[in-house]
Parts: sequence; C-alpha cells; structure tokens
Amino acid sequence: MLPQSRSTPDLHDSATPGTDAGRHHPGLIVAVFVVASCGLAYELIAGALASYLLGESVLRFSTIIGTYLFAMGVGSHLSKYVDEKALLARFIDIELMVGLLGGLSACALFLIYAWAGSPFRVSLYALVLLIGVLVGMEIPLVMRLLHQRKQAFEALVSRVLTFDYLGALAVSLLFPLVFAPLLGLARTAVVFGLLNAGIGLWLTHRYRAELPQARALKLRGLLVLAVLLAALAWAQKLTDAAEAGLYGDSVVHRETTPFQRIVLTRWQDDTRLYLNGNLQFSTRDEHRYHEALVHPALAALPQARRVLVLGGGDGLAVREVLKYPQIEQVTLIELDPAMTRLFRDTDALAALNAHALRDPRVTTVNADAAQWLETAAGPGWDLIIADFPDPSHYALGKLYAVPMYRLMARHLAPGGLIVVQSTSPWYAPRAYWCVDATLREAGLHTAPYHASVPSFGDWGFLIAGREAGYRPPSALPAGLRHLDARTLAQMFDFPPDMRAPAVEPNRLNTQMLVHYFEEDWSRQMR
Amino acid sequence: MKRRDFIAGAGALTALPWLAGCTPAAPLVTVLRPGLREGHALREAATLPPPSGELRCGVAILGSGVAGLTAAWRLAREGRRDVLLVDGPEPDGNAAGSLLGGIACPRGAHYLPLPDPGLAHVRELLADLGVLTGGLRDDAPEYDEQALVHPAAERTLADGIWHEGLLPTSTAADAAAAARFSADMTAWSARRGDDGRPAFALPLAASSSDPALRTLDRQTFSRWLEEAGHTHPPLRHYIDYAMRDDYGARPDRVSAWAGLHYFCCRRGRARNAEAGAVLTWPQGLSALTAGLRRAAAVRTLSGHAVALNERRAAVELMVQTADRRSVTLVADRVICAMPLHVARHIDPALAAALPREALPETAPWLVANLLLDGFPHERAGADLAWDNVVLGGQGLGYVVATHQLTRVARPAATVFTAYRAGWGDAGEARRWLASAGEADLLEFALADLDAAYDRRWRHRLNAVELVLRGHGMAIPTPGFLDAPARALRDRGGRVLHAHADLGGLSLFEEASWWGERAACQLLG
Repeated sequence: MLPQSRSTPDLHDSATPGTDAGRHHPGLIVAVFVVASCGLAYELIAGALASYLLGESVLRFSTIIGTYLFAMGVGSHLSKYVDEKALLARFIDIELMVGLLGGLSACALFLIYAWAGSPFRVSLYALVLLIGVLVGMEIPLVMRLLHQRKQAFEALVSRVLTFDYLGALAVSLLFPLVFAPLLGLARTAVVFGLLNAGIGLWLTHRYRAELPQARALKLRGLLVLAVLLAALAWAQKLTDAAEAGLYGDSVVHRETTPFQRIVLTRWQDDTRLYLNGNLQFSTRDEHRYHEALVHPALAALPQARRVLVLGGGDGLAVREVLKYPQIEQVTLIELDPAMTRLFRDTDALAALNAHALRDPRVTTVNADAAQWLETAAGPGWDLIIADFPDPSHYALGKLYAVPMYRLMARHLAPGGLIVVQSTSPWYAPRAYWCVDATLREAGLHTAPYHASVPSFGDWGFLIAGREAGYRPPSALPAGLRHLDARTLAQMFDFPPDMRAPAVEPNRLNTQMLVHYFEEDWSRQMR
Repeated sequence: MKRRDFIAGAGALTALPWLAGCTPAAPLVTVLRPGLREGHALREAATLPPPSGELRCGVAILGSGVAGLTAAWRLAREGRRDVLLVDGPEPDGNAAGSLLGGIACPRGAHYLPLPDPGLAHVRELLADLGVLTGGLRDDAPEYDEQALVHPAAERTLADGIWHEGLLPTSTAADAAAAARFSADMTAWSARRGDDGRPAFALPLAASSSDPALRTLDRQTFSRWLEEAGHTHPPLRHYIDYAMRDDYGARPDRVSAWAGLHYFCCRRGRARNAEAGAVLTWPQGLSALTAGLRRAAAVRTLSGHAVALNERRAAVELMVQTADRRSVTLVADRVICAMPLHVARHIDPALAAALPREALPETAPWLVANLLLDGFPHERAGADLAWDNVVLGGQGLGYVVATHQLTRVARPAATVFTAYRAGWGDAGEARRWLASAGEADLLEFALADLDAAYDRRWRHRLNAVELVLRGHGMAIPTPGFLDAPARALRDRGGRVLHAHADLGGLSLFEEASWWGERAACQLLG
C-alpha cells in the first residue's frame, strides 16, 4: 500500500533552507501520523466496501486505489493555491471536512447501495475522488506549515515522511486485524473521521493565539464531532436498515452458515426466507408453490407410503406431504443443519410448516442430497420430490442432468413418481423445457405443469415416472388453499404462447440447461 | 428475483488479498517413490534369499501398468485362464490412483483423449468397461457422460487473470498467433504420407513412414517452430507447457516430429461431446486400470521379477514377493511389461540386444495430491475448472479431483493434484528429486498454486502426498523414431516386450497398444 507522501510532487518547490532547526512542533507531527492513518483507512474502507458489495475484488481494489492516488495528486496540486497567511486555518478546515466525509463515507455508501441501486458506482468513485483530493492537500500543507515555522528542510522532510509512513503502517495492520472485524466497516470509518476531526479541534486549541477566527473554527469542529458521534451510535442500526432496505423488510434473523447466508425478513404477516440473497419463499403465497409441488403427484398415488424430499429444509413441502394420512415415512435430505434446526426448533418458524419436522413420521438427514442418493439403499420411494436450487451454474446444473434422473429413477418404487421444480416456463422457457427433455432422455415419461406464484411469477414443475399414463388426480386432500379440481386441471394446460421450444437435453458434459437458464433470464433482466 | 449477491459469505476481510495471517500449521506430508528401492536393488544386483517355492503358469505378465493390464485383459477375453500377473513394484504404473482423506485422486495420468477408430483396442476396452456406451465402430460413438469432462474444463492464468481454455487468446495478438498455429496444426492433422497413411497417428506404428515426413524427427521442435514463424511468446508458453506435460521436456529437447504428433494425432470424436473432449475420472486413469483388473480377473502375485532366464522349454523367473520372499516362477511365455531400463537388469538377453545408450532418455515426474479442507479464495476471471494451468508457470498446473462429482453444494474438502515435469536437465532433475528434503520437495510441488492463490490458500492444506518417479516417461528426443528399442517388436521367442518405452511416447494409447500387440502375438 502506498502511503500518501508518494503524491506530493511539489515537495521540492519549498526547498528553501530553514534556520531554526531546534524548535519542534510535536502537534503538527502527531497530525501527520493521524492524517496518514486516516487517509489510508478511507481508501481501504472504500475498497473493501466496493468488493464486498460488488464483488470482483481485484478490479475494485485497483481502480479505487488508482482513483484515490490520482485524486491525492490533484489535491497536492491544488494545495499551492492555499493562501500562505491562512495556512493553518485552511488545514484545520480540511481536517474537519475529511473527518466528516470520510467518517460518513461507509454509512452513506451502504445506504446508497441499499436504496438507490444503480448510482452506487458513480457515488462510490465520486466520494473516493473527493476524499482523495482533500487528503492529498494535507501533507503539502503540513510541510508548508512546518516550513513557515522555520524547520530545517532536511529534518522536516525526513520527519514528515517518517510519520506519514508509520501512520500508513499502523493502519494497514490495525484495519484488517482490529477495526474491521471488531467494529465493522461503517463504524470503523466513523472512528477514523473522529480522529481527523479531533486533530482539527486540537490544533485549533493549541494554536488559538495564531488563529484569527479560532472561535468559529472551534464551533465548526464541535459540530462535526457531534455529527460523527451520532453516526457512531447509529452506524449499526443504519447498516441493519440498509440490509433491510435491500430485502425490503425488517430482518428478523440472519445467520451465516458454512453453506450459505440465511436471512429471514418480516413485514406485517409476511415472512420471507432469502438464501444468499435469493428469495426462497414468502408466506403470502408459498402455499401456492408447495401445494403445486406436492399434490398433483401425491394425490395421484393413493398407494404411496414413502416419500423422499431432496432439498427444502424449510419443511414446507413436508407439511403438504403430511396431509395424506396413509403416508408412513417422509425422509428430508437437507444439506444445511442450520436450516432444519431453524425450521424445527424455532416456534415461530416451525409454525409455518405446521411443526412438520417434529412429526414422528419425518426423518431429517443433513447431507448432500446427490451424494446421499449415490449410496442410499433400502426399498424404493413412492414419490421423490426434487426441490433443488435453480440451475444457475455448472455445479447446480449437474443436479438436473440425465445421470441424476436415472439415479432417482432407480430409487423409485414400482409405479412411483418424481416431481422436479424446474424454473419458470414463462421467464426461462428453454430452461424449463430442457428439464423436460432431460427427464425424457433418462427414459422417463413426463407430465409438465405450471402454477402462478406471485412472488416468483409463473412457475414450472415436471412429474416423471418410469411408466406412462399419469393422470391428474380427481380428488385432493382437505385443507388446501389454492388447489381444487378445476385449478389442478388448468395447471397442465400450456397456452399457445407457452408452447415447448426445441431444446436439447441437459448432459453433464455440455450443460445446455445452464446456458439456456442464463440466456433466458438475462433476457428478462434487461 | 434479486440477482445481486449482497452477501457472498465472505466478509470484508476476504477482500484484502495481501493480508496473510499467521503461518499455517505444517500439513502432513507423505513422500512416495514407487519402484525406487526395487529398481536400485536390481541395478546393484543385490543378493536374494534362496527361493522358498516354485510356481508354474502358462503366461506370466511382468508389470501391471497399462501395457501389462491390457495384455491381461486381452488374454482373459480370449479365454486364456493360465495367466499370472506379477504386479511389479508399482501396481497400475503411471495410471495409479490414490485415496486421500477419503477423496479419490490420481497418482499419475488423469485423462484419456477420445480414441479414433484406428485405436480399436482402446475403444473395445472402453466398451468392455462401460465407458463407451454405443456405436463402437462409428466414427463418433457414445460415451458415458459421467466420464466425459464436465465444464468448465480448462482455464489458464495469464497476467493475473484466469482465462477460459488453454490456448492464450486474451489479446488480439495472442488470438492471431493462436489462430495461425491452430490452422497450421489442422493442416498437418489432415496430412497423409506417400503410403496413404496419416502423417501422425496413434498408435505410432499407424503413422506414415514417408521419409519426407520422417525428416521432421531430425530437428528439434523449437527449431521447427522458429522456422514456421510460431514465435509469439504466450503461444510458446502454451506449447512449452504441452511438451513438458506429455514428453517431460521443453521443445528444444523434443523431436519436431513428436511435437507435431502431440497436436495432430488426436482425431477422436463422440456423438455426445464436442471435438477435443477428453475422458476423465476423479481417480484419474486408475479408473481404467481398476476396470481392466476386474475384467481380466487374473491371478495376481504381489511382487516383482528380479531375474529372467529364457530356456528351451520354458522361461524361468525369479520373483521377489511383497513379503520379501523369493519364488521361482516357471512360465511357457512371458510378457515383459516393464520399463526397458528395468527390464535390462533382469533379462541378460535384452541387455545384450539393447545397450544402455540405446535406451530412451527418461524424465522425472512429480505428482502431488493436496488435500484441502475447503476451496481457496479465487482471484478474478474464469471460475475454477477441472484443469488449471499457470501460463509460463514452473509446474504443469493442477487438476481438481472432485470436479466430476455431482453435489448440491461444493464438497467440504477436495484434492488438487499438481504436476511437475520437464524442469532442467533430466539427469540433474532426477538427482535433485532423489536427494531433496521433504520441505524443498513440498515448496517445489506447490509453485503453481502459490502463483494462482494468495498466501492464505496454504491454510487450507491439510495433507500432501508427493509421488516421485525418477523415470516417469520417455523423452522423444530427435531421432527417437529410429530408436533401436523399436526393433524389439519383432523379437521372437518366449519373451515378448510390451511397454510404451518401445515406441518412445509415454501415452495410455501407446502402452495399451503394446500390451494388446503382445497378447495377440502370443495368442497367435
């Protein structure tokens, strides 16, 4: 990391020999140390925040460092226009401004990202540029101040640069090891802002005799200090609110597990689950999704006793399965123990799945469903529900490939069915019909259907079995909110604008599904 | 649907790549030197305990690498039941596999290009093992998609960014040089000699013997590349990598004929894969050797031959078993499927027929299996692929053993297999490998990963298995096509030789062809 002295090109302009080398100005030297620390800190914070929010950390860091250093160069250049007589007052002003801007930078960026979205990049680089210009003025001004105070030039340069580099070193170590983990980015920025403002106030006090408007300066300083102290107190709430803004509602639970980031939000009677920022369900309409996932297949299997659920640790699919009194065994394979723990043991969340995960007929296995299927033995399943994440990348695409469906088919009891959640036939038609083609390539007979789930849009499912002749059931269990005989029949109808396009099946080595999925969705996201 | 990844699981700290933490705990290192002790004992003609028993068999196969196992498989298929396989000091040879932390990984070669119809024996073998699933004799048969390499297959680290694929094409100049080279190689692939045979084919024996083409074997590949104008540095880094990877030497040591053969001999296609696809398994080619062992169901003796005497009525062998006993083995016929430099020490007739100078030069080879308790943090560019190469790097990149698995989430642990070959002079490299300490070997093996990741990746390193082979592969130096070893194919008698060394290219297809050939000769 470059300390800020690298961008003080006008250093040599002030090379007039000093006379009074004996007098020290520890105040100004301390200022150099603090100023150097803070300058580097804002740069680190902006870089860390940008890569945290935007990804591509190498690109973010290098462009932010570049912008910052460039801005400092501009600042150094501008510093020569500062009037010789008002040097100290202007330096104190700059300290206060840097403190205010830098201190609030992280909070501001969080808020802009959460609520404004697209102007984030512009705001980020503008803020970096602004802080950089101000920080770039600091060291040249300190040099001139010391020079005014008759410091020998050699001693001046060496001392200023020594403390500049020391400050940079201190912060480069303290930021990642102490500040960021302990305080978080928002509060770290505020702490450094307080340091800048503190230096400004202290210098005002120390040199009050020399300053014509010491009172006004002090007033400004105290105001900045007050704003920053308030920000310190509110920074955590602010970032929480920003996260809530991102998800729309207030966050009631957040947890980072080895597998994913789990966030639950609630607004009035609507609870939502996000995994890694992707909406999994909203309690407003999850019944539509889960009724559609389970009943068209299970109601057609009056002989069904054993059901396997792959994925879906929220237990909502299991809740629907348990509506059939003849079901004897439900096994849920969910990777993340935190998910099943959350939806079994937390009363408010277990209520959502009607305490399905505590039912004695339900066995929960925390394992990778694909790996579990490879080694599982025992009698076949009457229904296998594959509720996997969307095939957004190659690793997930494999869960929707021919070998996976062949493997599932081997685990079916005679007459058994598989049901697969298979993305949206409206938004991603080629992806949806690719899953259909893949199931058929695996030697299965399919029945495509779809349901309207407002949170997701028109959502698609596929029923597949080794034998042909699946018929939508005529009777459904009691207590369903969305499905009845009429809506059920309509689900199997695809109007003319939703007819199947020509697609290739998804193979492990070509992964057409991932390509279709990406292309179809990116067309929607335009 | 929110598509911004607000929380990527990583905190702000992971965005600070230059901040290395404390020194990681040293991983558990195992150093394996397959065949070293046994080979050197042979060289020094160590005395043996008196034989404690005698065995008899119709056919003895000495060595269980790809050549030996293909021979065993062919003999079993043709109904020979009187075969005894003497495993040799390194079961499965260069196609061996391992299990590290419960994860299957290669201990040697890790992939096989799609065989063209000319490699009928390889296709038949793959069909027998259930890898080739339909259209055995078609130009483009169907393969088990589990074994076809899954995307993303390859990526290259150049200028600090990962790029998809192996050929550098990130700048316009790179792309132009790559396009010119590819076009040139396509033309050479299609070329036929005056005998109507393809210029470059596998097995080597199927290549044209047109003298006009064979003159390529008189110059080095680097010389040929200069003359053909293929001088763009990133392209040359790639070619350099390819030569070190397959031939254990840089282009300035490799025959131009062999260099062109590398790029022009593969014409295999599949009905269900793109051209240039390869077959691979988490455990590398040991998936095939294990399959061959199963299919051959051959009686196996764990040990290695130390002496061979061809008599009028039979071949008398002395075998040292794995439990250090000596056993006399009397066989009607012998397929000697071991490297030639080893075979010379047990077979006086071969030693007389093939002086030491006539042996192919061999290159040392290091395979490092690295057990990681989690995937390291990736830098910018293309995502982690199956094969990951550092352009201009010291090593040959690394392969991800768990790449071919189907999993809902990334496995909690994985194995990266890093390769190194073709550094320095082969003799010096071999001596260094024999004398270097564990710490130096480890640093040497990790060079490419250190280049690919920031220092924190080593925190993930749990255990390391270093497999050192002093004589990993034959180097096809200029003139290798006329090497005297090739004449052994016509050597009559009770002892037949089968090893990739005979042709001079250390490739699965070659080794397998020599095994197949010996078995067919024996069957008559």
